[in-house]
Amino acid sequence: MPKLRMTGRGLWITFLIVPPLAFVALFIVYPIISAFAYAFFDWQGLKRLDFVGLENFHTVLFVEPYRSWTLNAFKNNIIVFFALMVLQNGLGFILAYALWRELPGARFHRIAVFLPVVLSTIIVAYLFKLFYHPLFGVVNISLRGLGLDGLAQPWLGQSGTALWSIIAAQAWHMVGFPTLVFLAGMQRIPGEILDAVRMETESEWVKITQIVWPLVAPSATIVFTLLFVGAFNWFELPYIMGGLDGSPFGSTDVLGLYFYRTAFGNVSAGQQDFGLGSALAVLIFLFIAAIATVITVRLRAREIQI
Amino acid sequence: MAQLSLRGIKKRFRETEVLHGIDLEIGDREFVVFVGPSGCGKSTLLRLIAGLDPITDGEFVLNGSRMNDVAPSRRGIAMVFQSYALYPHMDVYENMAFGARLMGLDKAEVEQRIADAARMLRLGELLKRRPRELSGGQRQRVAIGRALVRKPDVFLLDEPLSNLDAALRSEVRLEIARLHREIGGTMIYVTHDQVEAMTLADKIVVMNNGRIEQVGSPRELYETPANTFVASFIGSPRMTLVDVTRDGDRLGVANGGAVAVGAVPDAKALKLGLRPDAVHLTRGAAEGFAAQVVYTEYLGDNAYVYARLADGTLLSARTTPNDLFAPDETVTVTVAPGAAHFFSAEDGRRLSP
Repeated sequence: MPKLRMTGRGLWITFLIVPPLAFVALFIVYPIISAFAYAFFDWQGLKRLDFVGLENFHTVLFVEPYRSWTLNAFKNNIIVFFALMVLQNGLGFILAYALWRELPGARFHRIAVFLPVVLSTIIVAYLFKLFYHPLFGVVNISLRGLGLDGLAQPWLGQSGTALWSIIAAQAWHMVGFPTLVFLAGMQRIPGEILDAVRMETESEWVKITQIVWPLVAPSATIVFTLLFVGAFNWFELPYIMGGLDGSPFGSTDVLGLYFYRTAFGNVSAGQQDFGLGSALAVLIFLFIAAIATVITVRLRAREIQI
Repeated sequence: MAQLSLRGIKKRFRETEVLHGIDLEIGDREFVVFVGPSGCGKSTLLRLIAGLDPITDGEFVLNGSRMNDVAPSRRGIAMVFQSYALYPHMDVYENMAFGARLMGLDKAEVEQRIADAARMLRLGELLKRRPRELSGGQRQRVAIGRALVRKPDVFLLDEPLSNLDAALRSEVRLEIARLHREIGGTMIYVTHDQVEAMTLADKIVVMNNGRIEQVGSPRELYETPANTFVASFIGSPRMTLVDVTRDGDRLGVANGGAVAVGAVPDAKALKLGLRPDAVHLTRGAAEGFAAQVVYTEYLGDNAYVYARLADGTLLSARTTPNDLFAPDETVTVTVAPGAAHFFSAEDGRRLSP
């Protein structure tokens, strides 16, 4: 290895690299490692007690009532992931295609679709809580106005509809993001390739499925991976709209809420348990990291240099 | 069979009219080249024929049916694009099979056609490769192959050689000429390169500013250009165009001498067109245009001398390599009898003596 001489250039590089490296180490690497470590101890409040090995992991995965809570939250995360895959990414692709084809009003709609993404989650959550209000909400008022009184529901107040209502709010909030990424991907496709397809078929379906979709593979990798990570880290919307307990009856409980409740406690869940919380956090982290890696590798393989 | 008629074709993009009424007949098995400077509308016209852009006004008839509102894929036309436009996610075989399958051909027929195209274009080794793994010339052949397998009535080629290097260009040019002989389809070829136009075409369509300047065989265009635009566009180096006044049977350049060129049209003021091989340069001849040599191009088998006439016009002359002139040397220009072209001084149209 060549000896690194502290020339002016070397000093500059050191000077520029050390602060961000220190920042990352202190605020990202250290907390992750700490969480890993915490998960192997017994805790009382914020006071660390004995080393307990894998006991915390065992508890959250196999001991009731934690086991049911974990499975319930995990199941809900899976529903959220697949639902958003269709509602957010699927719709995003279709919207992007419509915007890309420059249908009338495309300029207005490009902004309109992306605008909700800019809104703060708090505002979106509050807005949709109002929309879903059983008596005064615009959703039920509209349904009654259309004579569909039977369809008017206490959307957030019953197990059957609560999670889906929050998912719909999330999809509305973020659909602009995949739209924008897909649109950027589509705009990279050279015009002559599209002309070449038009010389061979007039079917939009063939164009979309055989040409456009394969060629926006890099965009798909990005939005699929981010959606996966986002769906399993989902927190703000269910927290504000469903509450920390995932009400009603845990129907809107997700891993993020469950972890928070376990680690930091709340009024109804009783005492906090840092060890169990950390164990949950580690499991969530490992799960997301593993699956996200698989998704990325598999999706990367189908990407094509245009 | 392919018989194309363009009748009064106009194209507007928003407020700008880029084609001002194109009338053109193209016969079966003809190799037609649209040539002109960039922005003349030749590629636009090709895209209208392909159906990629809508025709604003006028009529395009192919084999007796009006094509204006027919989708590009249903016109029986295939196109080879400047960038080749191969599908990057498909291998060579799939690129060619894609369109053939969409035509509803059965599997055996698709395979047969691809095998034929691959043999004709020497693509056999490449069928499993992706476009990214091919050289420019190979991509070019795949793009042509993709058009071939559809067995179209008309082939459109949009500047197909412009992305190739010079050596490959003449090779592919020969290839395209051979292909046209073999398959015998009607081909419409767009280029801004007059050498490509001259060497490939049965019929050249010279375009400028959204209008057709002249239609004719390469020989017709070279020997009897219809106007000064065609005269200076076809032929390299360019034809020299110089304003002259007539005095009996002699033509004079403003304070720069006069020459006799044989029969002259009956007009007081003319534009005289001189190809490089129509003029002769001498040192100190008694009669002729006075000129000052600007520079000399030595090309081995012959040489071109560029000299400035008294009115500032740059004249190009072909000489033998043994007879080179030095810059700033004063020479006298004489014109071979019957070799000059004459154009109207007002509108640039060809005048006959």
